Amino acid sequence: MRILLVEDTEGLGEVIQDQVADEGHAVDWVKCISQADSSLRTTDYDLILLDLMLPDGNGIDLLKKIRNLGETTPVIILTARDQISDRINGLNAGADDYLVKPFDLSELCARIAAVSRRYAGNPNPIIHLGALEVDMTKHLIFRDGITVNLTAREWALLEAFTQRPGTLLSKSQLEDHLYAFGSEIESNTIEVYISRLRKKLGKDQLETVRGLGYRMGYSGPQGR
Amino acid sequence: MSFVQIKKPQSLQKTLGIGLTIGMALLWIFALSGGVYVSQNKLNELFDSALAETAQRIMPLAVVEILNRDEPEKAQQVVSFKAHEERLVYLVRNNLGQILLQSHNADPTVFNQTLLIGFNSSTTHRFYGVSAVQNTLHIEVAEPLIQRQEAIIAMAVTLLWPLVLLIPFCFLGSWAFVHYSLRHILAYRNEIESRGSGDLSSVKIQDLPTEIIPIAESVNNLLDRLQRALESERSFTANSAHELRTPIATALAQVQRLQQKVSAGTTQDEMVKLETTLRGLSNLSEKLMQLAKAEGGGLLAAEQHNLISLLTLIVDDSQRSNAVNKITLTLPKNREYMSVIDPDAFAILIRNLLDNAIKHGDRNQPVDISFSTNGILRIVNASSVIPADTLAQLRRRFVRSNISVQGMGLGLAIADAVVSGVGATMTFNSPATGQTNGFEVKVDFSTIKG
Repeated sequence: MRILLVEDTEGLGEVIQDQVADEGHAVDWVKCISQADSSLRTTDYDLILLDLMLPDGNGIDLLKKIRNLGETTPVIILTARDQISDRINGLNAGADDYLVKPFDLSELCARIAAVSRRYAGNPNPIIHLGALEVDMTKHLIFRDGITVNLTAREWALLEAFTQRPGTLLSKSQLEDHLYAFGSEIESNTIEVYISRLRKKLGKDQLETVRGLGYRMGYSGPQGR
Repeated sequence: MSFVQIKKPQSLQKTLGIGLTIGMALLWIFALSGGVYVSQNKLNELFDSALAETAQRIMPLAVVEILNRDEPEKAQQVVSFKAHEERLVYLVRNNLGQILLQSHNADPTVFNQTLLIGFNSSTTHRFYGVSAVQNTLHIEVAEPLIQRQEAIIAMAVTLLWPLVLLIPFCFLGSWAFVHYSLRHILAYRNEIESRGSGDLSSVKIQDLPTEIIPIAESVNNLLDRLQRALESERSFTANSAHELRTPIATALAQVQRLQQKVSAGTTQDEMVKLETTLRGLSNLSEKLMQLAKAEGGGLLAAEQHNLISLLTLIVDDSQRSNAVNKITLTLPKNREYMSVIDPDAFAILIRNLLDNAIKHGDRNQPVDISFSTNGILRIVNASSVIPADTLAQLRRRFVRSNISVQGMGLGLAIADAVVSGVGATMTFNSPATGQTNGFEVKVDFSTIKG
């Protein structure tokens, strides 16, 4: 997933960025509302991690602005403000979850996964795609009952397809999903990962639509 | 050692009612005294005039009567034609003092022994004397003084009767008038009395008398200052929490990241210990801030909030953070119980009670939470029976019933501070009601005023 992290504390932002990136997500880290605003105007994010007390204002105002524009991007508030009134204000402003500092990095990752599943329209963490069974919470994948091991990048690519089953995803969409701003991307990176996934999950699982992109779990024009 | 005696506050209405009544009564009595004095003088003049007139009218008749008698020197008592009470009596005497004629009821002993002319008085009678026939005959008419006194007393009593009726009417009338005049002040008092202790909004001062407006304005200024002080205290606590939590969160996250990078062994064990220490520090600072907030006041809000929806949110949050323990929540059908307890204070209370139940309860048994329609919250966790003397100590800080469980012994002390601060009541039971073991906390929110 392409995630926007809005956090002004240097050390914490760095650790969160590293942890979430290790989970296979592309994280753009900004430290104030104005930078977040610019990033949101230029990039489509799958999720926003938003701190509230920022140097140039309150994160709630940014959240309200996003929602007023009709944006439905999921937002998880990360804040040190633990009062129930702050939590209610955050949820009322359109946040999807609210995590109070200090928190476990594993809990943050679990909340990211839960929120993204909710947005994908399937809150069930177990997804079946043909012969594949994917446990989104435990990051486990079974092919005909046998565990398949994926790297973080491969998992992130698979997640992009499971979030939009049957949807055609272009190469640039997949690159956006996997890489943050400033990351060096080689021209054939996506093809390499697609190839690896096919090898591990089976050739039939991923379909290439020449010149347009890739899709997974497509059942033909009639649908299933 | 000196004692300052505190005077009991007086009712302005009562004081004014009594004061006005006493003033009215005194005024009436002064007027009555003046009236009696003037009337007495006028009556005396009238009575004296009647006395003189009587003497002067009787004297010629008496002279004719005496001179026409065969024996003028012989005393004669006039016989009454018809029995009656004779108030005016007289004696006709010669210049030697011999009685020649007397009225039928006259007692010569009450008359002056010497023959006096004009008005004079004894202790019992008023006299008028006059002479005729070259001072050879003298008449003295006497009137009992008691007759005049009776007249004055009768008049004074007649004038006093209205006063007896006037006093209660005056008291009731002045009480009603004062009550009417003070209606805006009484409304002001009622508004202050009826508002909850958490309501620090300004009190309406329109329609108040000009004498009271400066006081009411001062009260409003004071309320405003108090509200701003409480808000800045809250803001300070919230900002302090933020300033403290952020570096702890950073340190904790960095330690967790480092743990992922090092392989199992001594270094990782040390990092686990460091993480545990950081968590302990985080929890302790959290609890101390909660205790400071609970004891700092401002635990009631100006508006009512639905405690059940807040409870649901807090329990849901706790359930997600403590996936191991199951929490069963039983709520009334209408899912609404409104109270003026501050939502943040309520959250602190519930979180501490829930943490306590999760920490000290059997991990294989659910924590049961229920909220009744009459505002009673029950949180029950499975545990062995806690002795009564330990139960009594649990509200104290740093007291734990089970030292094998990691904790600071502050949770129930914070809960107690919140409950006391808002005017609710909290009781501990072990075994839990209707069970043979377990620990139950019962909080009654219905006692909160406001």
